[in-house]
Amino acid sequence: MTATRIRPTTRSAGFGGIVAAEWTKLWSVRSTWWTLLAAVLVTAATAGQLAIYAANANTNDDPADDRGIVTVGSIVIGSMELTQYAVLALGLLVVTSEFTSGTIRTTLQCTPSRGRVLLAKAVVTAAVTFPFGLLLGGVGTLVAGPVLGEWGSAPVAGTLRDLLAVSAYLALVGVLALGLGAALRSAVLSLIVLVATLMIVPLSLQEPDITLLNRIADGFPGVAGGHFMAGDTEPYRAAWGLLLLAGWAVAALVLGRAALRRRDA
Amino acid sequence: MITLRGLTKRFGRTTAVDALTVDIAPGRVTGFLGPNGAGKSTTMRMILGLDRPTAGEALIGGRAYRDLRHPLFEVGALLDAKAIHPARSGRAHLLAMARSNGIPARRVDEVLATVGLDDRAAAKPGRTLSLGMGQRLGIAAALLGDPPVLMFDEPVNGLDPDGVRWVRQLMRLLAEQGRTVFVSSHLMTEMQLTADQLVVIGRGRLLADAPIAEVIAGSAAAVRVRSPQPDGLATLADRLTAAGAIVEPAGPDELTVTGSTVDRVGDLAYELGVRLHELSPHGASLERAFMELTADSVEYAGVPSPAGETR
Repeated sequence: MTATRIRPTTRSAGFGGIVAAEWTKLWSVRSTWWTLLAAVLVTAATAGQLAIYAANANTNDDPADDRGIVTVGSIVIGSMELTQYAVLALGLLVVTSEFTSGTIRTTLQCTPSRGRVLLAKAVVTAAVTFPFGLLLGGVGTLVAGPVLGEWGSAPVAGTLRDLLAVSAYLALVGVLALGLGAALRSAVLSLIVLVATLMIVPLSLQEPDITLLNRIADGFPGVAGGHFMAGDTEPYRAAWGLLLLAGWAVAALVLGRAALRRRDA
Repeated sequence: MITLRGLTKRFGRTTAVDALTVDIAPGRVTGFLGPNGAGKSTTMRMILGLDRPTAGEALIGGRAYRDLRHPLFEVGALLDAKAIHPARSGRAHLLAMARSNGIPARRVDEVLATVGLDDRAAAKPGRTLSLGMGQRLGIAAALLGDPPVLMFDEPVNGLDPDGVRWVRQLMRLLAEQGRTVFVSSHLMTEMQLTADQLVVIGRGRLLADAPIAEVIAGSAAAVRVRSPQPDGLATLADRLTAAGAIVEPAGPDELTVTGSTVDRVGDLAYELGVRLHELSPHGASLERAFMELTADSVEYAGVPSPAGETR
């Protein structure tokens, strides 16, 4: 035993310290790197595939007609349908791996405030997924651009706006996954609920093309995020799509915090 | 100082911890004993705010764990040696803990050295740690914030004899430094060597809270008497029986007396002028005391009757 008494250093104690702890935990396991690598590969593959479809669908060589040129950004946005699962897996792992390995007890021992723990995890998840979204967008652009060739356009401002939108979408979906993971504890169960919420349920609602059901589907986070990324004006403005998605993410965090507080660790 | 006030935990209809009221004082090692499933781990988890008590409260230095801002400076705990991410190194595990409470990174190296984990061992991923190394890592984690209160759940599990001795000395040292040391174990001999005070629970209820010597002395230990005088021995046996003790012949010139004490048997022999070749306490051990204390709880736990758990 050393005789030195340790006191909290003013620099990193408090919320910053909790964020630093979560940051350390995230980067000290290899699965984080594998998840990110998987996301890059899926983005490249999906963007490439969508670009091939877009190029192949365009056969009209008459320059007087609408030749069906698409923006590279729209291809990148389309590829998120699949890529998002690799990214939200990161948000899931941040919390569900703690339940699997039992380290949640260590975490709560270090920081008894469940709300602060979850908030720190959300900060770290967003801080990683947002810039990572830019990287993915860049990868998607680099793959889709050459494949589209003459059928693609990439105006700088528009593409940049699309990539930022993709980043914001991925960050929010990552936080949504985190909150849900905290509430449900199991990665598999959370993933099933996420696939259902982001894809299956809204798709089923849109299938019969009934206005009421379409409106309900528009309220789901994936659809709202889609409207936001596409810069739609109908059925609501793009900003509302962003707010709706953010609302889902916050709701998931609140749910996760309630579960962490109520249930025994 | 750990204070438990009417601490109760129910899971459905099962009462795991039943109105536990105990003070665990600083400056000594308090052993926490009980049969499997007696509620030891649940009690420790409630002290750490991991499980919510159904009723009552657990306080550390007068405050609930969930109210502590930098708890590692108040309480160090080893609950589960295997609670490390399989892919995370022991060092990163400790570093994350340290950062969460604003403990400088160099303290991680200090505690690693204290528990005898070298750089190579600290760099190994959690899944490759042996149980013994996991215990050392858990103890290092408990020492991070140099806290005045320490809790260890089965700390010597998986340690080699050297490690066991080291943990024993560490507990003693921590208590001598004036800290509160609360340690659970199912190893009676280990407790007998380490603890000053004992808290014994069975089926969630407090069975004993006393200095260890008192607990051992309270057990119905036997007294062995040997004498070369068969007649004198017979007289002694009669008098002891008359006094309510149970006397059994243990050999041609030997008696085993239960329900009396060495002092009383000795006095009586002196009074009767019986020459003794041996007068010794027999079987007085913590193990025996423990068995007696928890006999009821164990008996119930072993009965698979459907009515067993309902009350």
